[in-house]
Amino acid sequence: MPATLDDQARARLGVLFERGAEQASAALSKWLGQPATLRTSEVNEVDLTEASELLGPGDSLVAAVSMELAGRVGGQLLLVFEDRSGLALADLLLRQPPGTATEWGELERSAANETANIVGCAYLNSLDAHLPRLEGKEGGQAGGAMIPSPPTFRHEFAASLLEFALMDQAMELDRLLLVKTRFVADDRRLDWSLLLVPDRRSLAWLASVLSAG
Amino acid sequence: MSTPELPEIISVTIGQWGVAAAPKQIRTLLGSCAGVVLHDRVAKLGGVAHIVLPDSKGDRAHPGKFADTAIPGLIADLEKRLGRGSKGRLTAKVVGGASMFPTGPAFNIGQMNQDAVDRILAGLGIPILARDVGGGSGRRLTFDVVTGAVSIRVPGGEEYLI
Repeated sequence: MPATLDDQARARLGVLFERGAEQASAALSKWLGQPATLRTSEVNEVDLTEASELLGPGDSLVAAVSMELAGRVGGQLLLVFEDRSGLALADLLLRQPPGTATEWGELERSAANETANIVGCAYLNSLDAHLPRLEGKEGGQAGGAMIPSPPTFRHEFAASLLEFALMDQAMELDRLLLVKTRFVADDRRLDWSLLLVPDRRSLAWLASVLSAG
Repeated sequence: MSTPELPEIISVTIGQWGVAAAPKQIRTLLGSCAGVVLHDRVAKLGGVAHIVLPDSKGDRAHPGKFADTAIPGLIADLEKRLGRGSKGRLTAKVVGGASMFPTGPAFNIGQMNQDAVDRILAGLGIPILARDVGGGSGRRLTFDVVTGAVSIRVPGGEEYLI
């Protein structure tokens, strides 16, 4: 099976993620209590040396909640916050004045984890409903639904985070693929990103079922 | 009185190596990759390789990605700058090899990288003076080519020297 996506497969994958973003937007709006949308889904295929800058300057600190994926698509789903906007989210969810949260304590981490859980599960449910189904176990490790692990909070350098997330692909590939979705609330761009990083086996499967051939 | 100039910092990205002479510094950000610092104290010359995987298995297209091609490549560049061989002149420091995700095929790649780096440096007779490896966090490595000092910063922590 091919390990990289052709143009048609990338376009189809982009459409699938737009649908996932719609469902996740509804869940996020309900959770935040204000309109929020996930948009500008990008299917990024980059050289290894370019990957470290995908979240901005490599040495900027980001907060990230990771969920390991099992089932039809394996890999990592990460909700990444630029530090200040992540803490602003915590203020919003904890019903406290903006600027109250200044560091990632237990409450702030819990707010980030729960947000990732809600957004991530809505996103995955939509992807699961719209991805092609194959008979047997060809699609990913178990062939069943996409199942996320419990969320894990990280405070990390942006470049290190991407290095960790992309390592599975980098073990065999020189061009790496990830899907990035940006968040917008009340027409303001938030410095959050939702990253889906399929593992090598799932990438090959996606390339196979979504390609033109 | 003029403010002293800060030394120029050269960034090395994943899967590459970089060489610099005093008074420059070299910086790289590591996760599970291995950062190999080589230093010629007398010539005040050094380099950093940001290694992704232990073994090239014959792949010559991306020499900076693998321990068995990046370390010899870095040494060749240092020798070019020295204008002579480096045998007996170089010392090493090794940084990185963290593990963020507890499962999956890549979870122990950090340890495999460290093992490969140790074996290759031992084969070349290059002593490892210090190491800061493992754990679950990324590291920012900054190498001072003048002194050979390597400063490390982890997210939320103070900078420290090895």
